[in-house]
Amino acid sequence: MSYPTIRIPFGPQHPFHIEPEYFMFEVDGERVVGVKPRIGYVHRGIEKATEDRTFIQNLYLIERICGICSHAHTTCYTQAIEEILGVEIPPRAKFIRTIIAELERIHNHYLWLGLAAHEIGFETLFMYSWRDREIVMDLLELVSGNRVHYAMNTIGGVRRDVTPEIVEKIRKGLDALEERMRYYKKIAMTEPTISKRATGIGILKPKDAIALCAVGPTLRASGIKRDVRADDPYIAYDEIPFNVITYDGCDVISRLFVRCDEVFESVNIIRYAMEHLPEGKIRIKVPRRVPEGEAVSRVEAPRGELIHYAKTSGTTKPERYKVRSPTLGNIPSLCKMLVGGYIADIPIVIAGIDPCFSCTDRMAFVNINNNKQWILSGEELRRYAIKWYRKE
Amino acid sequence: MTEETTEENEIVRKMKHLIGKNVLESEVTRPRRIFILVNKKVFGKAIRYLTKRMDFSHVSTITGVDVGEEIEVIYHLNRAGTTELSLKVRVAKDKLVLPTITDIIPGATLYEREVHDILGVIFEGHPDLSPVILPEGWPSDVYPLRKEWTIKKIQKKVTKGGKR
Repeated sequence: MSYPTIRIPFGPQHPFHIEPEYFMFEVDGERVVGVKPRIGYVHRGIEKATEDRTFIQNLYLIERICGICSHAHTTCYTQAIEEILGVEIPPRAKFIRTIIAELERIHNHYLWLGLAAHEIGFETLFMYSWRDREIVMDLLELVSGNRVHYAMNTIGGVRRDVTPEIVEKIRKGLDALEERMRYYKKIAMTEPTISKRATGIGILKPKDAIALCAVGPTLRASGIKRDVRADDPYIAYDEIPFNVITYDGCDVISRLFVRCDEVFESVNIIRYAMEHLPEGKIRIKVPRRVPEGEAVSRVEAPRGELIHYAKTSGTTKPERYKVRSPTLGNIPSLCKMLVGGYIADIPIVIAGIDPCFSCTDRMAFVNINNNKQWILSGEELRRYAIKWYRKE
Repeated sequence: MTEETTEENEIVRKMKHLIGKNVLESEVTRPRRIFILVNKKVFGKAIRYLTKRMDFSHVSTITGVDVGEEIEVIYHLNRAGTTELSLKVRVAKDKLVLPTITDIIPGATLYEREVHDILGVIFEGHPDLSPVILPEGWPSDVYPLRKEWTIKKIQKKVTKGGKR
């Protein structure tokens, strides 16, 4: 005997940083059998807005696409414009961009670890990792003057220098961050609270990961060694040795391990960059008018491949500017991961691709057969999930 | 830019060999960046060749650009994480139809829907071209990324005479 499936709308009130999403889940009992995504609820029309602003004004607009990977976006933007201008930025600027990019990655991964722990009800880890996140945020503030929108990049270089005193402070901060992440990785490997909720959940097979064009840690946790930093080096990555981390578990815990290990790699990259920091200027002057041309710029943002496309027409404003952030690239894979899983695993699987999930999400459960409807907040769903697992 | 671009030039040469004069423009701007504009007639053949035979199996994104009488659709294809090939094809505004590539690369679903939303290109064979970015109730004749729709004009249209 077969029962009719029930459709559950999920969202769209998700105060994400980049992309709030709405999912329509089709469930059969506790199993998810179908997912349909719908995005665009805070579509701000940034691509259109860039066409109406000068290249310098756009720098500030692009910075505000995301509240976490703001540096990745401006790096991508400045790179594209510098390529069309045909200018090479000073080596010192390249290294400073790299240092900020990696600090940003550490920040993102600490933030993610806390959110993932929160989703599975491991509040202690959430509090601990967010406390330690403050270390890296303080370092970013020390270098740039800002905690979130660093405003370090400008067309032609960077806006602030890294002095020897700052280097010394970063070095101390990195030691603490590395030690803490070692501890968290140990916990993730031994603590049943994590392994029971994250092992074998949200499976994305390598074949599917490629077909669905997954990016970033999500792709690398499916055993595919792809990283823009290594494959298509930009800024100073071709001069700095580092490893591309992969795990082949294809599940949420592999995504966790990938991010833990990437923090260690980032720490090493920053140490190397600070040791080999070239002397010289940090920026060069560039013309305001950009000649006619086009460029495709790629950056490995903390969440994966970020791609910008710029087309210019010889004026002070771009003709067309296109941005594709990594979360959008991972949504088809996310849908694949959710199908076949339990309702209780929805929060952690969604958190697994790192879409900046906030805890004020709302969900509505609709039973289409008798038109009954009930609404769960993200918090209630989280509690439901924890209770559901406790029963077992 | 002193790095070698032999491999990139080789890819362009192979494309020219495959579809001949239907490669309308081609450019290697720097190592790992290729731009190729192909005739719409051979678009299906070109993308199949690139994805199946040349291993450009990752679609980074799809961009749509308004270039006057036509819409230029750019497929940013990637090979093994390194070389980024931007395959361009132009479609006339009065007949905005392209075959879908979701049957070859399922990961392109959202990108095609996005281009459909903002520029009105119809991807034939796409399973679901419902709005993905624009809100429900968005006027069906407003394609925000087209040049004729300036920000002021869009504001006037969607907020009923400029008033909220």
